[in-house]
Amino acid sequence: MNSNCNKFPFSAIVGQESIKKSLLWNIVNPKIGGVLISGEKGTAKSTLVRSLCDLIFTMELIEIPLNTTEDRLMGGIHLERTLKYGKRSFEPGILQRANNNILYVDEVNLLSDPIVKNLLEAASSGLNKVEREGLSLVHDSKFILVGSMNPEEGGIRPQFLDRFGLFVEANSENDIRKRTEIIKRRIYYENNPYEFFKSYQKQNQTIKTHIAQAQNALRQLVVTEHAMKIASAIAMEANCAGHRAELILIETAKAIAAWDFRKTLNISDIKEAAKFVLPHRTRQRQDPQAPNIHQDTHDDDNVQASPDSQENNSPPEELPTQDSSIPQQENSLNDSDEIEPDKIEPEENQFSNDSDKTEESGEIFDVGRWLSEKKRKSIHKGSGKRSVVKTDAQQGRHVRSRIPATGNVSNIAIAATLRAAAPYQLFREKNDLAFCVKKSDIRVKIREKRTGNTILFVVDASGSMGAENRMRSVKGAILSLLNDAYQKRDRVGLIAFRRNSAELLLGITRSVELAQKELQSLPTGGRTPLDAGLDLAYEIIKSAKIKDKDILPVIVLVSDGKATYSEKSKDSFESAIDSARRIGAEKIKTVIIDADQGFIKLHFLEKLAEAMNADLLEINDLHSKTLTAAVKMSL
Amino acid sequence: MSIERNIYPFTAIVGQNKMKTALILNIINPSLGGVLIRGEKGTAKSTAVRSLADLLSKRAQVKDCPFSCNPYDLDHACLRCSELMKNEKKLDTINTKMRVIELPISATEDRVVGTMDIEHAIQKGEKKFETGILAQANRNILYVDEVNLLDDHVVDILLDSAAMGVNTIEREGISYTHPAKFTLIGTMNPEEGDLRPQLLDRFGLVVDVTGVTDTSKRVELIRRRIEFEKNPSNFLNDYTFSQEQLAHKIQEAIALLPEVTFSDELLEMAAKIAVSLGVDGHRADIVMIKTAITIAAYNGKNSVSEKELEEAASFTLPHRMRKMPFDDSSIDSQFILEKIQEAIR
Repeated sequence: MNSNCNKFPFSAIVGQESIKKSLLWNIVNPKIGGVLISGEKGTAKSTLVRSLCDLIFTMELIEIPLNTTEDRLMGGIHLERTLKYGKRSFEPGILQRANNNILYVDEVNLLSDPIVKNLLEAASSGLNKVEREGLSLVHDSKFILVGSMNPEEGGIRPQFLDRFGLFVEANSENDIRKRTEIIKRRIYYENNPYEFFKSYQKQNQTIKTHIAQAQNALRQLVVTEHAMKIASAIAMEANCAGHRAELILIETAKAIAAWDFRKTLNISDIKEAAKFVLPHRTRQRQDPQAPNIHQDTHDDDNVQASPDSQENNSPPEELPTQDSSIPQQENSLNDSDEIEPDKIEPEENQFSNDSDKTEESGEIFDVGRWLSEKKRKSIHKGSGKRSVVKTDAQQGRHVRSRIPATGNVSNIAIAATLRAAAPYQLFREKNDLAFCVKKSDIRVKIREKRTGNTILFVVDASGSMGAENRMRSVKGAILSLLNDAYQKRDRVGLIAFRRNSAELLLGITRSVELAQKELQSLPTGGRTPLDAGLDLAYEIIKSAKIKDKDILPVIVLVSDGKATYSEKSKDSFESAIDSARRIGAEKIKTVIIDADQGFIKLHFLEKLAEAMNADLLEINDLHSKTLTAAVKMSL
Repeated sequence: MSIERNIYPFTAIVGQNKMKTALILNIINPSLGGVLIRGEKGTAKSTAVRSLADLLSKRAQVKDCPFSCNPYDLDHACLRCSELMKNEKKLDTINTKMRVIELPISATEDRVVGTMDIEHAIQKGEKKFETGILAQANRNILYVDEVNLLDDHVVDILLDSAAMGVNTIEREGISYTHPAKFTLIGTMNPEEGDLRPQLLDRFGLVVDVTGVTDTSKRVELIRRRIEFEKNPSNFLNDYTFSQEQLAHKIQEAIALLPEVTFSDELLEMAAKIAVSLGVDGHRADIVMIKTAITIAAYNGKNSVSEKELEEAASFTLPHRMRKMPFDDSSIDSQFILEKIQEAIR
């Protein structure tokens, strides 16, 4: 028994068969390239991975903690030795320790970007190229990359995703008997970890023997041309990018066959492998007919609305004749809601004069990249995930250091400075001090802080929005954006305008939950004071900017653009354009979401967007396009 | 027992029984996974947590160990102590009280996890690890006021350590691992934004507190507060007895805890409750049972009954029932109760 390993034993974990299989296959055949485990909290993800330490013979389980800085990941100057000999000496980092071992990142989706970047490079080349702190060297870094994550907390980049050979989803057990067993074992374990571990020694040993035999079988395994053809056909059918998919399909299928001590690959091995290899690699297809294997992999994925099903559920599109038949004039004279012929659901759309109604929200979906992320030159403070900014504030995660720009030396990275000065200490005049640091040694910290945006939703709640279930899909869309805002740690606010005025329903807050509550109960009805809504938004953003000049404000206007009322002027639309110009002049980022899903557009919004310099989007534009349904990623 | 000066005594807090119970349960059984107290301003959240210190008991620790290692626990000892233990060297031990360590929300990552001892590096030309707050927190209580306002990356690290009981540092030339098993107590005002569900799930117990609405209790509350401020030492004297009594009760419960038994049916019940409420993952079931066991110990019973399970469910389930990041969090407690009773029947 490995004395350092009194973790919860692998063989004592109930259920989670797919995760167990995927991990064991990786041990049998490290060429598979690791596994990403995605699942809700409390499903034994990390317990499973950590329990491997008893099963991996000479291999070790190396972990990357979330607090890792670049120098420890890649390695850097060995301070003591460098001081002593006056020559740069290398102190290996995590990537060297990971060589020929398993590298595990818990909460992999929360890892900071520079770390991910370096990790990716090592994973793809099998080498760690160190060019830092005056060191220049290369060493092997071949590892099995294992990650676990909870998708609710945000996604990971597709490029990184592709580095994980396999993808499995962890689900909680619903069988009462099994659940009971889980509780029981956990409690016994906690009472006496050592005894518990011992009682599973035999079972763990059986698994170890099986692994060793499977590794032998793997060496004798023959892969036929036919099998390769099938693998590439499957990968093609699943519309995977690049060729990694078929290579990993074969490697995984080999591990599966070896696990059964077979000497040849069966088609069923490849099919089984596909369930693990393809989910995170399958790109959205044009062809709605998914292949059989593909469907298997998506079995448990109904929870998430795929874009296709969303389309089916969205309200039927208006016929062109209907839309054009509504004269604008009538609308503004009559303070009622739109009267439309030909209702699909009569009760739903019947309004009495000036009455309010509150619609439920439509379906919530994953939003794609809806805020364009231009390079931000200025230095910001703030806390959130949407925009990574290098910050000069004393907060944020310190991940790397650099030579300071001239003149500006605050925020010294002392450890890095010492390392930079270390090689010269033997030769420097130290005036009785132990250490001499020269100006050229000084390094400053680069802290990385993810700055969330401050998103102010300005929602048209007039009667016209109540028509045709518009509000339903609008609410669905805004909720989806709020969901996105939650993952990115944005701050949000909510303004609604209807009847005679605009109302601030929710001041800028970090509580996305409150915004969601306000939105759910938002009634529609009455005229459209578009200018009032925009003016209020302008004021709110202005005052928020006074409080904190570093916020990144975004105004999201959701409307059909049919301004029908203004307190200030007779021409309500012109007045709205004026208000829009004022926002545009302040260079506040704005996005207009067209709530009107009809064919014929009345170009109001286009004019408005021009005045405000806003991006004009349709609700359908918000849907996440590039990502697979299996991995619920959004950025 | 001496009461620390100017800390309002725990037993003098009016009402808020649920919060008080949750805190006490965590002292009795540190493996419950901490407690999160949610509530509006001025509901004695911080007062209760800070006043806990007086109820905590003394235990043995290795003298001068920055991690307050337990001299009899090899598995959870720091590098230095475990070396000494393995070589069967004699360790100097002292008896100290468990402490409440506060983590200010402005804390930076290097202060939380620890960093390189710069002074040592400059003077001696050697690297040495300078411990952070997580080191102090080992075997103690870590208290974060306004936990929802803590920087995200600090929260991630905190929960990582809380879950594993170990703090692993890989930063700025330092590579170090030390034990960090602590009871995490957080307080927050939900108006300022809620915690992410992932973090919420890591707190074993959650209680929502509201202001006392009963007028006579409110009057009593004001009266005590005024008395306390007028003459703290007199006030503390008045409560010495009740404080001692409670501390004693906690001690007895700690002693009883390993002896509390439970039936398989009870485990099954817990599983049934969790399934029927659609709780994510398995942490809920496990914490529910552990809480029930602890409640039994606190009540001086040596076996767990349905009653304790029901009470435990009310601490451990409500915050785990949200499917989506922001489904409605104010779940009808009546509904939960019904489900629990259904499962028990």
